[in-house]
Amino acid sequence: MIGTAVLQLRGRVRGRPVLYTSYAADQAILDTPAKRWWTAALVIVVLALPFLLSRDLTSLMMTVFIYAIGGIGLNLVTGYAGQVSLGHAFFMGLGAYTAAVLGGVETDQVLGFGLDMAIWLPMAGIVPALVGLAVAPLAARVRGLYLAILTLGLVFIGEHIFKEARQITGGAGVGRAPAEPVLFGMDLRATYHAFGYILPRDAMLYFVFFAIFMVLAVAARNLARSKLGRAFAAVRDRDIAAAVMGVPLQRTKTLAFTISSFYAGIAGALLVVVIGQMTPGNWNLFLSIEFLAVILIGGIATISGSIMGAAFVVLMPRLVAELAGSVPFISTAPGSGFLTVFHVQTMLFGALIVLFLVLEPRGLYGLWVRVRNYWKAWPFSY
Amino acid sequence: MRSTARRTAAVLGVVALLATACAVEDDGDGEAAEDGGTEEPGGDSDEIAFDVGVTEEPCPDAVNPDNGCIYLGVLSDLSEGPFAPVAVPITAGQEAFWARVNEAGGIGGFDVDIATYTRDTLYDPQQHSARYREIEPNILALAQTLGTPTTAAILADMDADNVIGAPASWWSGWAFDDSDQGLILESGYSYCIEAQVGLDWFAANVSEPATVLAVGYPGDYGGDSAAGVEQWAEANGAQFAGFIETAPNTIVGSQDAAVGAVMESGADAVVLAVGPAETGEIIGKTVVSGFGGQFLGSVPTWNPALLESAAAGAILSTYTNIAPWEGIDGTSAAHDAIRESLDGGVPENDGYIFGWVWSYPIKAALEAAAENGDLTREGLRSVVDGLEVDYEDALPPATFGADTNENAIRQAVINRPDEEGTLGLSTVEAEVTGETAEAYEYTSACS
Repeated sequence: MIGTAVLQLRGRVRGRPVLYTSYAADQAILDTPAKRWWTAALVIVVLALPFLLSRDLTSLMMTVFIYAIGGIGLNLVTGYAGQVSLGHAFFMGLGAYTAAVLGGVETDQVLGFGLDMAIWLPMAGIVPALVGLAVAPLAARVRGLYLAILTLGLVFIGEHIFKEARQITGGAGVGRAPAEPVLFGMDLRATYHAFGYILPRDAMLYFVFFAIFMVLAVAARNLARSKLGRAFAAVRDRDIAAAVMGVPLQRTKTLAFTISSFYAGIAGALLVVVIGQMTPGNWNLFLSIEFLAVILIGGIATISGSIMGAAFVVLMPRLVAELAGSVPFISTAPGSGFLTVFHVQTMLFGALIVLFLVLEPRGLYGLWVRVRNYWKAWPFSY
Repeated sequence: MRSTARRTAAVLGVVALLATACAVEDDGDGEAAEDGGTEEPGGDSDEIAFDVGVTEEPCPDAVNPDNGCIYLGVLSDLSEGPFAPVAVPITAGQEAFWARVNEAGGIGGFDVDIATYTRDTLYDPQQHSARYREIEPNILALAQTLGTPTTAAILADMDADNVIGAPASWWSGWAFDDSDQGLILESGYSYCIEAQVGLDWFAANVSEPATVLAVGYPGDYGGDSAAGVEQWAEANGAQFAGFIETAPNTIVGSQDAAVGAVMESGADAVVLAVGPAETGEIIGKTVVSGFGGQFLGSVPTWNPALLESAAAGAILSTYTNIAPWEGIDGTSAAHDAIRESLDGGVPENDGYIFGWVWSYPIKAALEAAAENGDLTREGLRSVVDGLEVDYEDALPPATFGADTNENAIRQAVINRPDEEGTLGLSTVEAEVTGETAEAYEYTSACS
């Protein structure tokens, strides 16, 4: 009796994996021991990476986190809420410039207030969110292809504004430096030693980026599972039916754009901290398409999918570049070989988007689900 | 029992907080220790100290198998970017330069290798930054970093890594420590000075323009040049008709907007800071529409292929090219060496000469550091202040670290298109300076 009571306190009964006896256990994201242990292992591996990898690979991992944040934002508006948005690059640019103005160094050419990261980072999310809030009523009136064109217009308007606003952006061609990553007075780029051991150069930055990424990813996952998330899905599936059922269309679409712009702004601000210099030309249509690729390849309407897609889109070009040495017809030097590395990367990019759309619409996440189901049912897989 | 999870979370949180609290900012002592590259941790070879980017093993395909190897990086635009047509010969010119240095015995007992760490960055700051981080553990310095925004993207990292570099650009900011942290070893004038010298020559030898116009790509190239044009107009009482911003044809499709603006401006002299294709289009279309003014083109506006285009006639009659040093037919010792390296051939365009001349400061720095017996990053960086560079007469000797206003190079070479000339240009006058350019207060970047 006491035994079962003790076992039941956790909300699950040992030997009865599908029986939940508490709301907390039922609603947990990591609801099985397998999920908990594997997630812990993954987190530990990711935290250990800066100590094992060289500096450029650590930067690449940070870029993965940033693309994942951006991808999650786009997935919230396009995957969950069904509002096609090609304007992601615009919101990222807004976030990056907000952060740069608030957190950057002032020079003769550009503004900068040198504020702490604890101020510029949230503002880098809030300002684009407010702009998203302003854009949303327009977006709520149109659907599908027309919405895509409308958001595309945002990208071009944004590029023009960024080129003209020299005090903020430094102008086309020259650009400006990003915000300084100084969190609560601590310069994240400096070298630290803890417990007598010297940390690799960008380790602190990496850990902070990872922490921000985890918080935002869990928040998005919880959002997707909440009432608002279900409203998003209803609007995506059949918005008129959703309205008939009582889902407030305007409000839901507005919230989708606002939240997605928040994520995009934060991703943009962090991306330029990794790159080091941003020009107005960075925030172009191709960046929006990269994020669409992230969510299409990774998995529409899934958070894990966005993360997998981000890892794929960021790491694939590097893999191709590494393999180019071994494959004879891909050249790294100009003029030699049949194809250059960049040709191969671009071709693979496009080919994979098409392949995933046709063969596995649920993306990498769908592939993962297939693999997991196979092994769950093994040796009785079918 | 339920609180086990909470307890674990609490313990982890405390550990994280403790780690952060105990993390003390390091003052740079341990930097060299974690480079994790394949170099030897350090060593002495004939009393020269070295660590990162220098090895005792010979270079791959070494000219002098007994010498060690100094590795320099090249971050350029070699395939898809907007400057690939000129950047590929630039890199070729640099390789020829260092091959000549190696054949003469290398520097301080080391050959110099730039090919192993040449990376294509497509003129994109993100790629530039990523490739720089990739090659940084293995190089001593950068033999070439193409582009101003791209170099600015890695400047903070270069500062932290003590990596000096030679730019493949003529932005005025490289002459000032405020803008380049004393890391960038530029050669020749800047676009800003170029515009002023060009207009001075034009006023003295063709006609005094009452109205001047600047057309260019916004940013470090066209923006710098336009700042020079504006300066000149102010100093000479001419009217500055404005800076017409345009972009490469790959972005805007055609130069019709710029052509229209030029026609409307009524300018007597138009300074162009665009690419060769755009130059041909602007000159061709404006002259055909009856434009009466003349064109002064910045260095990168020329390509020999322009003389085979439809605008050739217009170009021959209205275009003058300004260059920082003589072209392939030049008379200096450097030019003799360039022609020798080409074995009587002709390069695709003047980029070959740019790359060659841009390499002299790095050679001077390496030689000075080797003489000091310190070929480490810190040693190399420390010789930049006060470094004297001999360009073998391609340019007057330059000194780095001295006051820019007094020491900046303010001379140019004026060329005109000539069907008989090699690479389509023939020199009209060399070592040209101008009143306005000489008098200009050069105390900070022009743009």
